[in-house]
Amino acid sequence: MNVPLARRGARRSGPVSPAGLGRILRWALVVAISVLFAFPLYWVVVTAFNTHNGVFSIPPRFVPAFHTDAFLYVLEHTNWLHYMLNTFLIAGSTVLLVIATSAAAGFALAELSFRGRGFFLFMILAVIMLPAQALLIPQYAVALHLHLLDSYAIQIIPFGASTFGVVLFRQFFKSLPREFWEVARLEGVGHLRYIWRVALPLARPAVATVALLTFITSWNQFQWPLIMTVSHSVQPIEVALSHYMQTFEANWRKLTSAVVLALLPIVALFLLLQRYIVDGVAGRDSGVNT
Amino acid sequence: MTVSSTRAPAAPPELVAGSSFGERAPRGQSPAHKLAERARRLGDRLVAYGLLLPAIAIFVVFFFVPAGYLLYISFYHWGILSSATQFVGLTNFRRLFAQPLFFQALTTTAYYTLVMIPATVFLALGIALVLKEAVTGRRGGVWRAAVFLPHVTPVVATSIIWVWIFNPQFGLANYVLTSLHLPALGWLDSTQWALPAVMIDSLWHSLGLYVIIFLAGLANVPREILEVAQLDGAKRHRVFHRIVWPLLSPTTFFVTLLATVNSWQAFSQIFAMTGGPHGGAGGPAFATTTDALLVYETAFIYDHFSLAAAMSVILFLIILFLTFIQKWISDRVVFYR
Repeated sequence: MNVPLARRGARRSGPVSPAGLGRILRWALVVAISVLFAFPLYWVVVTAFNTHNGVFSIPPRFVPAFHTDAFLYVLEHTNWLHYMLNTFLIAGSTVLLVIATSAAAGFALAELSFRGRGFFLFMILAVIMLPAQALLIPQYAVALHLHLLDSYAIQIIPFGASTFGVVLFRQFFKSLPREFWEVARLEGVGHLRYIWRVALPLARPAVATVALLTFITSWNQFQWPLIMTVSHSVQPIEVALSHYMQTFEANWRKLTSAVVLALLPIVALFLLLQRYIVDGVAGRDSGVNT
Repeated sequence: MTVSSTRAPAAPPELVAGSSFGERAPRGQSPAHKLAERARRLGDRLVAYGLLLPAIAIFVVFFFVPAGYLLYISFYHWGILSSATQFVGLTNFRRLFAQPLFFQALTTTAYYTLVMIPATVFLALGIALVLKEAVTGRRGGVWRAAVFLPHVTPVVATSIIWVWIFNPQFGLANYVLTSLHLPALGWLDSTQWALPAVMIDSLWHSLGLYVIIFLAGLANVPREILEVAQLDGAKRHRVFHRIVWPLLSPTTFFVTLLATVNSWQAFSQIFAMTGGPHGGAGGPAFATTTDALLVYETAFIYDHFSLAAAMSVILFLIILFLTFIQKWISDRVVFYR
């Protein structure tokens, strides 16, 4: 980078100190990068609310207008609410299932001694080594044999267990003071009651992280429902969007309006909880690293 | 911490219900205590298996069984509707290797991956280095969030935006090019530029994740070392080259591995950008048909399940091979503290 050069040049001239100039350059770069990443999301809003002719004007209009006709058309003439509810239902159920299976397995691996513990842990870790794309054909065959094709269940159950979830809960439960569990045992508290009443509430950060990351992953599923479902009644918003691409072929305002609708919930969720989401992802992926 | 047998010797009552020694089992090695201890362990074991069952069952049914089933299908003539499943040996693989399109898809995937890996590492590390100081500030989270935001967006939704940006007539991409007095491109309509357009979308969508990983790696470089180097008057690029880069190598390796595996399996963004208004995905003229797309179309458009399974086996082996070769390299190059 040019920062050292700029520094040398600015040494004896002007009111801006060399370190100051470097700082300004650096901040300009920071802002430029952030704007570049956020821009396509801004652009889709501008397009959706542009005028009919404004969309095709050259040079393009970068300032948003507020013509809501295309957006209202999509609101009224598409089944977006139905698809959105489907997506919520699928993502929500997946989250609950993941929390339950991960907390249970994580507790067993952290607190109980039994034969085969190492083997089960190895199995759970081995899942992430399997390349997802290579398994789709046999997964489809398994779903076919289990009569699960074209249902909500096939979009929920296969993602109802998570390696990351198990590992995170195991870590968290291990960090709880040993005495809690021992006292609970002396008091005659059962395993499930202990997990539900003591361990899970204490593991709230782990619950939040697993819930958020699972929800986002589930919300963004596309290829899986594309393959496993055919009925509009069970399909999520992403698959609906790929249909809209055909329906609204070159009608960019309507198509981008549909995109804005689909993006709203997940972007809102991210903006509200971005700190936890980014930290969670950083923890998950650097955690595997070490 | 490991679970040891030296725990408080009390069994939960529900596990020794009906026995005369409950939670008051005497300490020491009396026979009653031994029995209670054994009951407790047996109970623990049963409970443990019960607690593991849901997660393990899901993994087995939907991941491990399919992994084995994949091999089975690839050696059989298998179809959804055909009841006549028969062993055909290597026929599926022979038919696969007779298809030029299969090798074209492999080449396309390799091209895509070979561009994506260095672009990902270079850009993600560069952005992380620029953001490094900004993100530690009081409101630093904003910059991190802006870069990461694309990664949480649904792929089809944002791919539609990029299709619009790459529109040859009215898109922003060509507007920028012509403003810079460069020739406009056909982008998704051109066999030459369709894949680069997809790469730009993919980079935009995935870089945030890798930037976050690099930021975490950079945060682990001890400040003292950097301060000492600066006091000694070491130049910036030398500090980076001699200290930061080696210390960061485990992170760089991890990012490379992740980018390789993800790029080789790219599907959704290619499907969304080249399908839809453009007709069959993977075009124009199969220019963006990667492995994953070919598997999908072979199985779900043309119903050749066994052929698609044979392709998947090859895909599986390639990813395994790439993982191992990178591990092999990393064991020799990566500097682990």
